[in-house]
Amino acid sequence: MQKLSITLTLNGENVTVDCVANQTLLDVLRDELGLTGVKDACGGEGECGACTVIMNGKAVNSCMVFAGQADGAEIETIEGLAKGNDLHILQKAFMETGAIQCGFCTPGAIMSAKALLDHNPDPSEGEIKEALSGNLCRCTGYKKMIAAVQLAARGGKADER
Amino acid sequence: MNGKLGERVVRKDAFDKATGKAQYVADIRAKDMHYGIVVRSPHHAAKILKIESDSALAVDGVVAVLTSEDIPGEITYGALIQDQPALAHKVVRHIGEPVAVVVAKTKRAAQKAKTLIEVTYEPLPSIQDPVEALEEGAPKVQSGGNLITEYHICDGNLETGFAEADVIIEDKFRVQRISPGYLEPESSLAEYKEDGSLKVWVSSQEPFEDQHTIARVLGIDIEKVHVKSAVIGGAFGGKEDPELQVLAALCAWKCNANVQMVNTRYESFVGHPKRHPAQFQYRVGVQRKSGKIVALEATAYVDTGAYASYGPAVAGILTETMAGAYHIPNVKVDTYVALTNSPLSGAMRGFGAPQSHFAIESLIDVIADKIGMDPLMVREKNILKPGNKLFTKVPLDETALALPICIEKSKEARERLSGIQAPPGKIAGVGMALAMQSMGLGAKIIDTSSHRLEWLPDGRVRIYLGAPDLGQGLATAAEQMAAEALEMPYESIETVFVDTNLTPNGGVTCASRMTYMTGNAVIRAAEKMKKDLLDDAARLLDVDIQSLEYRDGEVLKNDGTRIAVGEITSRLAEEGKAIIEESSFTFPYPEEKTPDHLPIGMPHVMFVFAANVARVEVDLDLGTVEVTHLSTVNDVGKVINRLGVEGQIEGGAATGLGYALYEDVALKDNGQWVDSFTEYLLATTKDMPEIESTVLEIPEASGPFGVKGVGEIVLVPTAPAIANAVFNATGVRVNQLPISPEAILEGIALKKY
Repeated sequence: MQKLSITLTLNGENVTVDCVANQTLLDVLRDELGLTGVKDACGGEGECGACTVIMNGKAVNSCMVFAGQADGAEIETIEGLAKGNDLHILQKAFMETGAIQCGFCTPGAIMSAKALLDHNPDPSEGEIKEALSGNLCRCTGYKKMIAAVQLAARGGKADER
Repeated sequence: MNGKLGERVVRKDAFDKATGKAQYVADIRAKDMHYGIVVRSPHHAAKILKIESDSALAVDGVVAVLTSEDIPGEITYGALIQDQPALAHKVVRHIGEPVAVVVAKTKRAAQKAKTLIEVTYEPLPSIQDPVEALEEGAPKVQSGGNLITEYHICDGNLETGFAEADVIIEDKFRVQRISPGYLEPESSLAEYKEDGSLKVWVSSQEPFEDQHTIARVLGIDIEKVHVKSAVIGGAFGGKEDPELQVLAALCAWKCNANVQMVNTRYESFVGHPKRHPAQFQYRVGVQRKSGKIVALEATAYVDTGAYASYGPAVAGILTETMAGAYHIPNVKVDTYVALTNSPLSGAMRGFGAPQSHFAIESLIDVIADKIGMDPLMVREKNILKPGNKLFTKVPLDETALALPICIEKSKEARERLSGIQAPPGKIAGVGMALAMQSMGLGAKIIDTSSHRLEWLPDGRVRIYLGAPDLGQGLATAAEQMAAEALEMPYESIETVFVDTNLTPNGGVTCASRMTYMTGNAVIRAAEKMKKDLLDDAARLLDVDIQSLEYRDGEVLKNDGTRIAVGEITSRLAEEGKAIIEESSFTFPYPEEKTPDHLPIGMPHVMFVFAANVARVEVDLDLGTVEVTHLSTVNDVGKVINRLGVEGQIEGGAATGLGYALYEDVALKDNGQWVDSFTEYLLATTKDMPEIESTVLEIPEASGPFGVKGVGEIVLVPTAPAIANAVFNATGVRVNQLPISPEAILEGIALKKY
């Protein structure tokens, strides 16, 4: 298998990593770079959204991206969201609304939500559902996840409507 | 103070989960970690003639290829019947059965070697239907017969009952095989220690049972097996079976290496237990005028797959709930549990109750239609009341008062939801279902849960939680209850997760009873802790113990001075002492509630109740069903963490909706099972209805602070409520789950002609 070296802007830092041509971005993030916040729940089939990262501003299933395709890309993962203990507003909102139970889908869901809010800071409920529709969750029934994204979109303030 | 009982409490592990720091098994890296990958059977049934692994072993980095010949101890294990081989021995009995494991130094080497292992099979005839499996001449799944359990329970006199009826209705129902569908696939990491012991990381509902099973298969003392829970990515019953931790331990033991094993989603579908498919035949006798059901005769055929797993126990609850939450004077139920050449069926959230409830709750609406009575009225006339006995002869107590409230709230919800118009091209309907779910493992099964508390030198308290938190928030509930019992802030309580070396044995997290069990044990331990504290305080302060009392999380002297607990515990720490108390709680089966004419595991004596009202819109051209609203009523005894209870209700609704409309591990025309999320549809954000929840808090006398349980009941009424709503909308009764567009369109077409 052909070997290659790719360079990513990963959570704001330049990273160069050696990999082989049939490795996915998910493999590289988890196995080569140790970013285990990126989850694999469907066996790399692009079905579950647990491995969602933001690539050049768009939420993608990292298991559906070959490592080579990510060369030169800007990648954001769950690990890059908080600055130390200073959490991103979405992380706080997911915690406070009870949108987290087992937590396995949480990183992917938060990244999908971040990609949405980055482009559309005031999304409708329908737009939130659309943005999270590729993130499977077996625990929460999604209601609190949607509420979390709405809370974050309001800047963390309680709904006064 | 945050964290008070009944409040919305943020769980302490949420920070790690929101930041990606939480370590699930697959995230843990051991030194020089090897990778184990399973070779699984492609056949429903076959003889294994030869396993050729030379070319696999020649791959650079491959350490071993293990087969059943390499198992040092017992080849088979099983929770109830030890019939399941850790690796297939001479035969395979279902697609997905593990045949061999390849162990390699890299994942890539293991993956490559897996494709080079050549297993020669001689296919055998197979059987997938539980009714056909019990017919004479059916292929035998194991060496004995295919019938592994049967239950027959009678109450009253069926003949008299049917003679009193003026309407007799017969009907059949069928429910499918579904997957627990947790997002974290099964996984385990077994570390081989230089002293010849193993440390096994698990994602499991019962680490202490895993310890026994691993020791059994390896033929070693359990002291050599240390089992530790990682963060668990959901379980829903499916993680009561230990397949992967047994195999990882075997690999580590045989290779003297640290071995990680993680199932793919395909493996999770075909290799790991599912909810039991079942077929029901019902015959009920009803008095038209009164709406009373006077006789019920029902037979169930339950498909447990190729090995028993929890099949006999699941079929027990399925049997006990076949008459639903109704008081029917004459009942006869017969249940047959069959082996088939299918992936195993085992424990899953609801444990038999969802299957029976789809049948009985659909049937109640069929009765209502036949006798021209409001379905809620039929329910009202037949529900169990305090003092009534179930057909198992178990008497119900005051908690049954939840049932009339469930009906009342459902009436209000139906009224509201019936007023909403359907958009053009669709018709709307509203349906409801009641449910009862037992708590506890069942009579004659030992069910004791132990947990430990320790007062730390700084005055904080640590819980050594003996049972796993599956993601539902057991630790949060335990911390809140400990805080309440010790009159301390929730923030001052921390938890050590289950670990066979560190924590007592809290038992298996299942059967809607872990908050109940844990709370009772924690309260008992807390009482002892307070007494110990005063003893030590009196000694250290050199005062009479009568002059001290424990109040508001402090020691109060009779002169009014308050002493922080940390002042006492830090001085104890200097002496090398600590206040540590362990306590156990055993699930109660009071004699008067536990008739002994039933087989082991029966009866269950404590119940929770619920109702769902569903509003659906059916597309008349496509036959598709959209659930627009779901109104739920759940009696939980007492809420500990309101966020947790709401999370159970909303998550349960999603699983119940999937059971009703989408999910099916079906055998496809090509002979393969549905085995991926592409074909197996979990509900997504777009499928979820508006959910409104009413939580009743009718306290359970034996519960900690009145707690009962909420983990399973939430989804039990959902599928029949949706089926009844579809009938209400279209006049089409679909007796088989999942309710398919084809079945609805066919029903509509038949009605037209």
